[in-house]
Amino acid sequence: MSDIGFLFAGYGVIWVILGGYLYSIGRRQSALRRELQRLQREVERGL
Amino acid sequence: MSQEQVLEPAEAGGRAAAPPTTAVGVADIPAGGGRSRLLDILAIATVIAILIDLYGALLWAPTEAVMGDVQRIFYFHMPSAWLALGPGFTVVFVCSIMYLVTKDLKYDRIAAASAEIGVMFTTITLVTGPLWARPIWGAYWTWDPRLTTTLVLWFIYVAYLMLRSSSAAGHKRARLSAVFGIVGWVDVPIVFMSIRWWRTIHPLLISGQGMSLDPSMELVLFYSLAAFTLLYVYLLLVRVRQEDMRARIDELRQQILSR
Repeated sequence: MSDIGFLFAGYGVIWVILGGYLYSIGRRQSALRRELQRLQREVERGL
Repeated sequence: MSQEQVLEPAEAGGRAAAPPTTAVGVADIPAGGGRSRLLDILAIATVIAILIDLYGALLWAPTEAVMGDVQRIFYFHMPSAWLALGPGFTVVFVCSIMYLVTKDLKYDRIAAASAEIGVMFTTITLVTGPLWARPIWGAYWTWDPRLTTTLVLWFIYVAYLMLRSSSAAGHKRARLSAVFGIVGWVDVPIVFMSIRWWRTIHPLLISGQGMSLDPSMELVLFYSLAAFTLLYVYLLLVRVRQEDMRARIDELRQQILSR
């Protein structure tokens, strides 16, 4: 692989790791929001 | 049950009175964990900063005379390492101490969020380093002190995260994590000083004579450090908010169970 190839591989890996992490955060956010809303509705029903 | 009290599973039979805890930000979480204007603005600012950084690193900075274009990996490699060693794991260290002193679970949540981000940036460091090293040193990896101690650091904080994921939320987990977070931080100064204490082939950027970089490269590097720090702050706020939501969920579940 040429030097430019290593350069693109390096930046490519950064975006894959960062992108994967941001995706993971986004999924957790959605799941937490759904669960929070569900529980808040349940608490309100019980009041 | 007030918002500030969290009931823990009985640790030694019967209900143990849990120390008071402050769920930071829980009261500020919009009903249902909705969007935050501050985070949205910060996200946009971070994206713009990183895009400018990308331009600076790949196009604006001059080509290094000896290493050529592959040296440009450095503009993202070093800030990643800085974020892990500097803010990332040091915040874990400080918040771990603060938790043990105050018994406030908000510090545990901040520590957990920062550890995760630190592991992510250490991973970037450990992968980009070898990709730079292969054309320059002729090998992806050597058991050089800097590389080895950084790998050890990665293992330490991966173990920290695994410890947390295998324990139930609460003060017991927070205590274990805090001790681990404090002891594990001992490797951070070792990583930083490794290129000064031992014989190493890892480049030494900062010496007694200052930085060994062209001024325009220095400018791109410092900008990159600032952009990455902004990214860290954004990710930390998002993750801490998620941990607060998780704490709120636990509170609501306990509230429902105790009805």
